Amino acid sequence: MIAAPYLLELGVGALMLAVFVVGVLGRRPVGILATAGVFVLTAAALALAPSGSALGGMFVQDGLAIFVKRVFLAATAIGLLSGLGSPDRAMARRSTEYHLLLLASLLGMLVLASARDLILLFLAFELMSIPLYVLTGFAKREPEAVEASLKFFLVGSVSSAVIAYGLSFVYGATGSTSLGAIAKAPASPLLTLGLVAALAGLAFKIAAFPFHMWVPDAYEAGPAPFVAWLSVAPKAAGFVTLFRVYFEGVGDRAAVWAPAAAALATVTMLGGNLMALPQTNTKRLLAYSGIAQIGYMLVGMAAASASGTAMILFYLVAYVFGNMGAFLVVEAVARSEGSEATSAFRGLAQRSPLLALSMLLFLLSLGGIPFVAGFWAKLYVFWAAAERGLYWLVLVGAVLTVVALFYYLLVARSMYIEAPARMSRVPVTPALALSVLLCVLGVVFLGVYPKAVVMAALRVATPLF
Amino acid sequence: MRVPILSLIAWMPFVGALLIMFTARRSPLAVRLIAAITTGISTVLSLWVYAAYDRDAALTTGFQFYEKLALVPPLGINYELGVDGISILMVLLTSIIIFAGVFASWTVATRSQEFYALLLALVTGVYGVFVSLDMFVFFLFYELAVLPMYLLIGIWGSSGEVRPRGIFAWAYRETGVGSKEYAAMKLTLYLLFGSAFILVGIFALYVAAGTASFSFLDLEAASFDPALQRWVFLAFYVGFGILAGIWPLHTWSPDGHASAPTAVSMLHAGVLMKLGAYGVVRVGMGLLPSGATELAWLVGGIACINVVYGALSAMAQVDLKYVIAYSSVSHMGLVMLGAATLTEAGLNGSVFQMFAHGVMTGLFFALVGLVYEKAHSREIFRMGGFGRVMPGIATAFTIAGLSSLGLPGTSGFVAEILTFMGAWRSDHRWWLVPAVAGTFLTAVYVLRVAKQIFWGPPSPHFHHLEDARGPEWVALVILVGVLVLFGFLPGVALVPVDTATVPLLSRILQP
Repeated sequence: MIAAPYLLELGVGALMLAVFVVGVLGRRPVGILATAGVFVLTAAALALAPSGSALGGMFVQDGLAIFVKRVFLAATAIGLLSGLGSPDRAMARRSTEYHLLLLASLLGMLVLASARDLILLFLAFELMSIPLYVLTGFAKREPEAVEASLKFFLVGSVSSAVIAYGLSFVYGATGSTSLGAIAKAPASPLLTLGLVAALAGLAFKIAAFPFHMWVPDAYEAGPAPFVAWLSVAPKAAGFVTLFRVYFEGVGDRAAVWAPAAAALATVTMLGGNLMALPQTNTKRLLAYSGIAQIGYMLVGMAAASASGTAMILFYLVAYVFGNMGAFLVVEAVARSEGSEATSAFRGLAQRSPLLALSMLLFLLSLGGIPFVAGFWAKLYVFWAAAERGLYWLVLVGAVLTVVALFYYLLVARSMYIEAPARMSRVPVTPALALSVLLCVLGVVFLGVYPKAVVMAALRVATPLF
Repeated sequence: MRVPILSLIAWMPFVGALLIMFTARRSPLAVRLIAAITTGISTVLSLWVYAAYDRDAALTTGFQFYEKLALVPPLGINYELGVDGISILMVLLTSIIIFAGVFASWTVATRSQEFYALLLALVTGVYGVFVSLDMFVFFLFYELAVLPMYLLIGIWGSSGEVRPRGIFAWAYRETGVGSKEYAAMKLTLYLLFGSAFILVGIFALYVAAGTASFSFLDLEAASFDPALQRWVFLAFYVGFGILAGIWPLHTWSPDGHASAPTAVSMLHAGVLMKLGAYGVVRVGMGLLPSGATELAWLVGGIACINVVYGALSAMAQVDLKYVIAYSSVSHMGLVMLGAATLTEAGLNGSVFQMFAHGVMTGLFFALVGLVYEKAHSREIFRMGGFGRVMPGIATAFTIAGLSSLGLPGTSGFVAEILTFMGAWRSDHRWWLVPAVAGTFLTAVYVLRVAKQIFWGPPSPHFHHLEDARGPEWVALVILVGVLVLFGFLPGVALVPVDTATVPLLSRILQP
């Protein structure tokens, strides 16, 4: 274990510089360089030990920060890997741009995870968000991409403004930008108002219902490897911010947010699951199912306890593998069939049995079925909520799981029950296959042996309360 | 070290499934042999457990063949197995049905490797539910028993050939009612909907007991607040009851059973529905005695509706498989009714009925599968006179039918008479009326079907049909034999069952 507070951030910065230089000289190896760099940084993050706070308490490298940084880096590594050798021409031509933007956003997340000061927090938040708008509109000649990008940008800016506005109240009420001081400050209406406004803004970022409308369009229009990453990493960043601002160090006052989180969780699960039902485009389906997944994580938030927080962290890990994997399989099928419709999956089990099995595992994981990661994730958040006596929320969540299984099973039905239109195998590039394999390993490993990650999550979440 | 015999029984089919997936890719015969051998081992072991179960010590020792292995110690999750008089009978039933089922579906041609692998994985789930004493592991096995069903019905099932008319025709076009895909989805969603309730119930007990243990034994020792007991019992009743086919949540069952391939219908109607009833008795009544007493009127009342409604629905069907499927709904009503009486006779009758009906309906579905395979029809009034060309199948069908309507000398009779006695001794004597009426109606629809298909005038279209062959005989002989054997010697089953129901009742009736 090594203790180096800024190692990862500096590493990403250096990587960006290297990508830039190599990109200027010649395009080819940029993707490989960035991917390899992020893999190395992921390995470094796994060896990292907490090193306390720095910069006068603005920046903290505690267990929570390291936990989520590992999640960000792992997600980014898989996302970048899957994009290697993509036949997408825009990606190939503007590879440097793509990787630089993605790394910039990653840098924002890494800083965000450690930010213990409102100004740094907001700065990191924007560093994370702005590249996302650009990347969503990466296929700039397609009107859908531009529309989605603009929508995302407008909604995102407004939510950033709302967060900034809320945080200004917080500063006004407490006279400090340090989150440590804010947590200790006496409760006041102004402080609550500020935090509520910031919560609404953050709900946009994690795409909770009814702040979700940018999600489906953005997912449909963006380049698939990016979308796979977009669907998980920024969400994790949003949750860390929530923990930092609303839970860390406030003690019993964390329970104040439980009803709001419970309400948000209920409508998000309901909205996401119900809107996913009529979807026929798998990317949109996954977008809405992703919204529902956020709802399940908010169930853990409603518990407002150390175990609830830990279970969200575990959920995020499970979600990274399950959701990214599902998006990557969609990408593989879409490349081969030229369509993202559910019908493109018809008979996949007979054409490419392994790809179909991977997709089935991801869907089951998202659906919360035993022996894959998602089951434990759902179970643990429900558990945390039950501990707090929120049985009604658990029941709502559990019943909506059944709704979710309906649309997941529709994809499974296409793959396994319906006959294929043609028998040829679906071609998969080695990089994509490898990244799908990584996701499968993650989903199965966590499904069989969740204990290590759960314990780690509990360890890092307990000091918050 | 003692041999973990229950684990062997439960996991043997799973080993078979793995072997089939990895070794028998090109050989259909090897697939079947592996399936037959692994389920055969489980069957032999469960017979041995049944014989070796210590009936005299059972009242004092509780669960036998106990195994325990810590899985997640901080959360109190253990891999904890054990059997009592009720569960050994259920394990035996599972073994009989799956062993017969492997032979009855010997002729599955398409993708048979995956079919058998899924079927065997599912059986592991069923065994697991019956033997696990840890509520959490119980739940895991429960899910394992439900999920493969989706693919089994969706891929290998058959869509109903009798198209609905009138307003139902419109509903058919809109939703695909009656098609196998519809049935598979409906069944899966209904059962998972049920499991959501079960999960909440388990959590509630875990939190309320405060012992940080999911063990059935620890939860049994804890005492719960009556208000909590009431709603948790209701949650378990709804959750498990859906699987047991309680009215009005039974509608997945006729569709599912009618659309499923033979072995799956056998297993589902024969064993999985019992799993629901077993859950209500073991978990609901066992852990929540006062909740069970308070809500017995509801359980019994709904069961009465089940009995009569199921029988009337069966009378109205023209598709042979639907007749049998609805008869399951009706008989599951008797199972639940027996349990709701909260009397020794009723509870014994209920458990015995689970067994008797499991074997009987397994036999029915095996026969329907054979008839369909030979005549390519399930429509009752298009068939006739099969008794001449397939005497073996006809005889077996008649025996199953007689057991179904409770003829003395078959195990159906023992189960029904016990249930009636229980109903008479319970607080709600009027339950006897629908129960007996149900038996009468059963006679009407069973005899009608038997007469039309097997004993009516022979039809010239069906002269070329053959009787059951080779492996299929194995299935029929086993099932008919068990049905008759337990009819004449009910004590073989009732003695061990009694060792489990008496302590259960004493817990329920003495608060």
